[in-house]
Amino acid sequence: MIRSLWNVLPGPLPLRIVAAAAIVIVLLVALFFFYDWLGNTFLDTGGTVG
Amino acid sequence: MASPPTDEQPVPGRITRIVRGIGWTLITLGILMLGFVAHQLWVTDFFAKRAQSGLETQLAGRSGVSPEVVVYDPATGQSSDPIPWTTGSNGEIVPDVSSAGQFITGDVDPGDRILRREPVPDAGDPLGTIRIPDIGLQWTVVEGVSRADLKNGAGHMPDTPLPGQPGNAVVSGHRTTYGAPFNEIDELQPGDLIFWDSPVIGTHTYVVTESIIVAPTALWVTDPRDGGWLTLTTCNPEFSARERLVVFAELVDGPNAPVILDT
Repeated sequence: MIRSLWNVLPGPLPLRIVAAAAIVIVLLVALFFFYDWLGNTFLDTGGTVG
Repeated sequence: MASPPTDEQPVPGRITRIVRGIGWTLITLGILMLGFVAHQLWVTDFFAKRAQSGLETQLAGRSGVSPEVVVYDPATGQSSDPIPWTTGSNGEIVPDVSSAGQFITGDVDPGDRILRREPVPDAGDPLGTIRIPDIGLQWTVVEGVSRADLKNGAGHMPDTPLPGQPGNAVVSGHRTTYGAPFNEIDELQPGDLIFWDSPVIGTHTYVVTESIIVAPTALWVTDPRDGGWLTLTTCNPEFSARERLVVFAELVDGPNAPVILDT
């Protein structure tokens, strides 16, 4: 699957590398915020009452 | 007669492709779950401790804030507007109580009813330090209990009095993530001491009286109380937001204690 995703990236190799890196960074940031929301909602809300 | 060898790989059957797909899906889910655990345990911890370092510096700057001085009447729970004061030869507060006598009931010298107060900082700004030596806890507490506030440490619940003041001051904190400031408060026993260090009004000491487990909606634990109280709340059990662990502690010592406790 990763190989097929790599193959759909346009342009020459350097451009593909940059595009792939940008996609990975965006996914990691999105994952970070998703983990943050998940943990704050279900795991440990901070202990507030009300 | 055997067929000659070829470079072509055999095309996987349908079942093989399904099993392979399930395998990759499970591996991906496993990696995502491990990432979640790592994020909750270590990434949030890193950010909280880094924030604490900055808050400690910011809190030190709060020592330049002058306390407000009011006359407080424990019988009515009312207090005067801030009154003028000067610093005595030993650094003590010398209030001018001439304008505050009407707040006192009975035959009491207003000078014996002096309460130190501090301005409430902006949301997210540091307020003081909570120390519980019995469990090795020491955290800078910020004003506010929003998600953003509590990512930096424990937070003081707005609309409750500040610690060191009359009433029920409530402080909340994470149990397992963001540095887990209140991870071990389940180990507190009645009689254990909690210290609240304010750079503005000094150190107040509380003694633990009770620990209870309540529903997350049990807002009554924040209700006003006579005397001086510090109430700590956190999630319970660990790694779950299903309940709240609440620790009540009563003021026993500090600059404001004699007035609050009317002793």
